[in-house]
Amino acid sequence: MRLERLLIGLGKMVAVILIVLWSVFPIAFVVLSSFKPGRDIFAVPPKFVFTPTFAHYLNLWERWGGFFDGLRNSLIVTVGAALLAVTASSLAGFIYSRHQSRFPAGSIFFLICIRLIPPIVVTLPLFPMVNWLGLNDTHLVLIVLYATFFVSLGTVLMRTFIDQIPRELDEAATIDGASQLTLLVRVILPLAAPGMIAVAVFVVVYAWNEFLFAFIFTATKAKTAPFVLSEMISSVDGVDWGVLFAAATVQLIPVLLFVIVMNRFLVAGLTAGATKG
Amino acid sequence: MERQPRGLAGVTLPFIAPVHVMVLGVIVIPSLFVIWLSFQSSTFGQSARFVGWDNYVRVLSDPYFWRALLNTVLVIAAAVHIEMLIGLGMALLFSAGLPMRRLLLVVVLAPYAISEVTAVAMWRFLFDPDVGPVTAAIAWLGLPALDWTFVPAHGLILVGLLTIWLHLPFTFIILYAARLAVPKELYEAGRTDGASLWQLFRHVTLPMLAPAILIAMLFRYIFAFRLFSEVWLMTQGGPARTTEVVAVYLYLEAFRYNSFGSAAATAWIMVAISLLLATGYIWRLKKETSHAA
Repeated sequence: MRLERLLIGLGKMVAVILIVLWSVFPIAFVVLSSFKPGRDIFAVPPKFVFTPTFAHYLNLWERWGGFFDGLRNSLIVTVGAALLAVTASSLAGFIYSRHQSRFPAGSIFFLICIRLIPPIVVTLPLFPMVNWLGLNDTHLVLIVLYATFFVSLGTVLMRTFIDQIPRELDEAATIDGASQLTLLVRVILPLAAPGMIAVAVFVVVYAWNEFLFAFIFTATKAKTAPFVLSEMISSVDGVDWGVLFAAATVQLIPVLLFVIVMNRFLVAGLTAGATKG
Repeated sequence: MERQPRGLAGVTLPFIAPVHVMVLGVIVIPSLFVIWLSFQSSTFGQSARFVGWDNYVRVLSDPYFWRALLNTVLVIAAAVHIEMLIGLGMALLFSAGLPMRRLLLVVVLAPYAISEVTAVAMWRFLFDPDVGPVTAAIAWLGLPALDWTFVPAHGLILVGLLTIWLHLPFTFIILYAARLAVPKELYEAGRTDGASLWQLFRHVTLPMLAPAILIAMLFRYIFAFRLFSEVWLMTQGGPARTTEVVAVYLYLEAFRYNSFGSAAATAWIMVAISLLLATGYIWRLKKETSHAA
């Protein structure tokens, strides 16, 4: 019995070590390597003790200035998409929660089905259309695309969160003569803040990291950081791994910290999103 | 609800309009337009001409399409099911009680934050045939090398591993949340009846988790079917178009070979397969939503 418990404990420990290695090793490796002097990057077995250097970051600054423009574009697009998606989802989620009986079940069902359409499908007609409107290579295209691909999930999430707010509050506010918009902004949204944050977390992670749309709809002016990274990966004159690792580190650290800080909202959103639609 | 003022439809419409305008304008109408496009012979900048089912015939008789479809199905079948098994194992491990569980949960979530592009950069180096540390570790263990730059199957294995790495957090969270929702009393009752650990798993855990496993699996099938960036950035579909997946095939048809008609046909084949994969899920949802309303 005691041996069995010992073995179970040992097994658990091995499993935990494997899980941590699997999840963190690739990330830690890139971040550490970005501070390694050139030759140490290629040392086998990997070196974990080395004299840290900022040489790759300096190189990145000097040779890939476009990467920092990409970061700025990513930031603009991410903030824009998050604001748009959270606003639109909150408005619709509120109505679907409070006036459900007025809408055929099909309406929200339709929103859920939309999630099944692969994003690459819409690039075919949108590509010529965006060109025709002169909107290619702008932040606006990406903001609208990123927000749209998350408003269906966002609406369902907001409805789920608003459903949990007691309706007595609505009634009290309506008797006091508040309009629907006042009710939403003053009463409901402050209480539904966790839902709004959950929606924002999804959109932020998606918009900051997205590749396909950025690759198709931007070229120079609105190019996002992942797009620039992809160019560094397939650089014709060979990959400069040190510089690539520095860029990857700069790209991943903000969103990684964001996910760590927001992990509760992310988990809540993922579970609500998967079970409710 | 009865106390609400009249003319509410006029009040509520502006609230739901933004979402619907966005979804209709960006997703629904363009998707329908793709149907029209799939029956036209059209390249960028040229006027369209109706060609009936020609595009579908062309795509379905293109060996590269079938290769891409086969690759996609193989990667999904392997990656999603392995993901489910690992995710389930981890969910059970976490629920069995671990020290520093909250911290470990955050650690497991970490890959969720990583862009496909950044992940490809990491994995390309780790598995680099000449300098990659994982390649070196594999050689040191005496295992066969992963020649992913030359051998198509190895390229797909690497893409599959990367897919698992990126999406395991999602699968794990869904299964773990479902496991936490199983009432403790069920296990207590089982234990007083003298059930073994295996019996508890087989007759309590598995049936209780079945709906969550099904949902997570369907989601992953549907999303894995869109697989693009990982393949595009890892192998570009090469060598010699052997590691293409359906989304890469579509992209090349449209944006490299300027054949929007056959790309549109491919797109609708993709949508049809996605819908087919999702029928179980949709059916379940429909029951729920009509029940709720």
